[in-house]
Amino acid sequence: MRARARALADVAVVLALAAYAIPFFWQLLTSFKPEAELLRVPPLLPSRLTLTHYQVVISQSLMPRALGNSLGIATLTTLVSLAAGVPAAYAVARLPLPGKRLLLLAIVASTAFPQIATVSPLYLLMRALELRDTWAGLVLVHASFALPLTIWLLAGFVREIPIEAEEAASVDGAGLVSMFRWVLIPLLAPGLASTALLTFLFSWNEFLFAYTFTVSEASRTIPVALALFPGVFEVPWGDIAAASMLASLPPVVIVIALQRFLVRGLVAGAVKE
Amino acid sequence: MTARLRRSAWPLVLTVWLLAFGGCAAGPERGPVTLVFKYARILGNADPLPELLRAFEAAHPGVRVKGEALPWASDDQHQFYVINLEGRSPGFDVMMLDCIWVPEFARAGWLLDLTSHLQPDELAPYFPSAVASATYGGRVWALPWNFNVGLLYYRADLLAKYGLRPPETYEELVEQVRRVRAGERDPALDGYVWQGKQYEGLVVNVLEAFWANGARLLAEDGTVFPEPARAADALRFLRGLIETGVSPAWTTAADEELSRRAFGDGHAIFLRNWPYAMDLFEGKGSAVRGKVAFAPLPGRARGEPGAGSTGGAHLGVSSRSRHPDLAMALARHLTSESAQRAIALGAALSPARQALYRDAELVRSHPAMPRLQALALAGRPRPVTPYYLLLSATVQPEFSAALVGVKPPERAIADAGTRLAYFLRAVR
Amino acid sequence: MTGREAAARRRALVCVGPTVLALGALTVYPGVWVLWLSFQRRIPIFDVSRFAGFENYAFLAVDSRFWSAAHTTAVFTLGSVALEVVLGVAAALAIHAQQRGRKVSLSLLLLAWAMPAVVGAKLFEWLYHPAAGLINVALGRHAINWLGDPSVALPAVILADVWRTMPFVAILCYARLLAIPADVYEAAQVDGAGRIATLTRITLPLLGRILLLAVLFRTLDALRAFDIMFVLTGGGPAGTTETLTVYAYRALFQTLQLGFGSAVSVVVFALVMAVAWAYLRLLRTGTVAA
Repeated sequence: MRARARALADVAVVLALAAYAIPFFWQLLTSFKPEAELLRVPPLLPSRLTLTHYQVVISQSLMPRALGNSLGIATLTTLVSLAAGVPAAYAVARLPLPGKRLLLLAIVASTAFPQIATVSPLYLLMRALELRDTWAGLVLVHASFALPLTIWLLAGFVREIPIEAEEAASVDGAGLVSMFRWVLIPLLAPGLASTALLTFLFSWNEFLFAYTFTVSEASRTIPVALALFPGVFEVPWGDIAAASMLASLPPVVIVIALQRFLVRGLVAGAVKE
Repeated sequence: MTARLRRSAWPLVLTVWLLAFGGCAAGPERGPVTLVFKYARILGNADPLPELLRAFEAAHPGVRVKGEALPWASDDQHQFYVINLEGRSPGFDVMMLDCIWVPEFARAGWLLDLTSHLQPDELAPYFPSAVASATYGGRVWALPWNFNVGLLYYRADLLAKYGLRPPETYEELVEQVRRVRAGERDPALDGYVWQGKQYEGLVVNVLEAFWANGARLLAEDGTVFPEPARAADALRFLRGLIETGVSPAWTTAADEELSRRAFGDGHAIFLRNWPYAMDLFEGKGSAVRGKVAFAPLPGRARGEPGAGSTGGAHLGVSSRSRHPDLAMALARHLTSESAQRAIALGAALSPARQALYRDAELVRSHPAMPRLQALALAGRPRPVTPYYLLLSATVQPEFSAALVGVKPPERAIADAGTRLAYFLRAVR
Repeated sequence: MTGREAAARRRALVCVGPTVLALGALTVYPGVWVLWLSFQRRIPIFDVSRFAGFENYAFLAVDSRFWSAAHTTAVFTLGSVALEVVLGVAAALAIHAQQRGRKVSLSLLLLAWAMPAVVGAKLFEWLYHPAAGLINVALGRHAINWLGDPSVALPAVILADVWRTMPFVAILCYARLLAIPADVYEAAQVDGAGRIATLTRITLPLLGRILLLAVLFRTLDALRAFDIMFVLTGGGPAGTTETLTVYAYRALFQTLQLGFGSAVSVVVFALVMAVAWAYLRLLRTGTVAA
């Protein structure tokens, strides 16, 4: 009897959270609804499902380019910020660094930096360096913005590694690079995954910088393309729904598949304060 | 080492040689050239643009034209251009421009001065006010493409049923709304719908209310709100329409499309909108097919006669285009009479060339064209100034605040005036 | 200093070099530059660029739109953080109490958090559609004009933001709950504490520190929120959903008023830093007490 009550409670929690996700499912349904039925509700359920909106989005708009840009920029951002972040995190966690306190303070302070505070100088900088509307420009900005959190998280993960491993490596006379390659990175792998995941999501979802620095299909990322979805007078709700599903597909898949690493990363970020 | 040097020197020699001889052998527009054309997607199922672009390519061998879509709201398009054009070479040659931006873009040096490219009477066939809005500082910066004017749509069937004629003043309109709604007893039937959302369209609607009440946003001498009391009164009148239920409460969130749909579904008696809406009302499956007519926007009793705001799009050439002559040819091709006819037939955008309003083929499919020409000629432009966007962006939230009733109209006008004074002091 | 120590220091400098360079060039330098910009009248379109001292700030002091944006920012931050904490704790407790199906629950929760804020805004724009939005269909046609009525637009925006960010709070709390050893509860049961007593005397106090952190992160995020209102309402109607960040962005890029817009950005900057500093102090004293 008690077991049944428990099972019922479990089902109730899942149902409540499914209800919480209704905005998402409603948009999912909308993306498959025939155009003529979009504004005729009720009935809530469509008479048939159609792929028209996806065909329109893939063939007629800039969405495929934007998906490619987002994928490329988010991946490069992740790589760049890990490449700079891993050694920095190691130094912060392990090495005697002059001015470490100042650096740590700067890192903590810049995690709180609002994007709006630097967008106007960065705009002038990007203009001067001719980096507007390039992948490189956005990757630099995203990576430097994500870097403080990357270092913060990784430094925490480095501290969890037993120090004997590195010492053994340095006794063997291994250089810094091979120590990273053969000792630190393998031991850090789960932490790297969590950090990479959060950086990737940040870059994929980021809007303010992307909106300002990408001006054409050469570099426009998917949130920007979605915000600027074209049309005149007419709002193409079905196409927008299809486009927003495409925009959320990669992050949603990644997050749900790699749930474990994500939760670990989020918690590490908060607990290591 | 020397072998490597010699090998690497060859391309250099070749390049110099090619540059020296290529320069005099052919003009700068040799080889495959790609022109990029920025435009807003055109409404309607038969988008005529791809075909027009292909026709241009056929007439210019070796030239490819790439059409790129702009964001859909005028304010977003402007921001796109500003960020894209400021201090850099944009990735496009020909651009669609909202007519209100021409002075700003021309002053910023983003547009090619077309004056010397034009034949003496090339602009004669256009509406004079379209040409005026493409002109700044005595030079021509763009070719008029399509032309808009604010219209009052009304349900001819309902007005006829109650023996009413289209209203000449807003006071009459309010009275007619009362009578029709009292007779119809349909709670879903709204009175007068227009655009009250916080965006450029709101400024257009408020300006039309200003003009009907003898107020302006900007005087010739640069004074902002030269008639503040009349301007506040016009805002109060618009607010009153919403308060008394003549206009529905959602007017404050309505753009062209939302209001057009409500009217098109048969849920409103009057609608303020642009000419494009007529096509959709007369389309297959429309709930109001054959029941809609349009009239000039009303004036105010004891005020001035009404005038619809003019609008529309021009085509300009980027001053940094690498192929200015070809870009000019493309702009000319797209604004030609046959192209504007194709656009008017396929999409619902009304042409900027006057002759098309009496064109036999067009009048057959759009019988209202000749009447539209008269209204377009009577339209009134928004202030023509390089600071238009600054004006519009500054007054939008203030007008919106007055319409939704969170700010008294007088204070909205005063606050907008203070802000504009501060901003304009910097640029003058 | 021994040779070995010197070598370690050299290593350390090599390791942090790229980071210091990147942060210096793309965060610290712009952070100083924005301050300098805010003392200028600078409008590139019209070739305006001159030093203006405190002119921009003096105007902000009497600028009604600025104060309205400041007010909106405060309401948005308080409202959305408060709702997130209440809902987040509730969700965490509910999932933690589950015997089976935790993974499904977490996935459903993470769905909302994973997507870009712009997608969240588009989702809610469609839900709030006056005629065909799911919410109004449930309430009757044109029942509430969510994004057009100034009295409900801000709550509507807050709701959309809470929907997307509450899972963050929930997951932090959930992870903390997992870390509470089972014997704490067993001891409470032995003492005969009821469910409510266990919740208020044991669970919530244990959550205290992580909640404070979650509130810190969310407050900082809410203070600089931009995407959701920029896409959903653009700051309207009547500027009732225009936060300081949206105001700054509009000034900066709608008309390229780089000087004036930077002054507004600096205010946001100062606000965020002040709040962060206050929280960190609170956290430190809290740790000492605990």
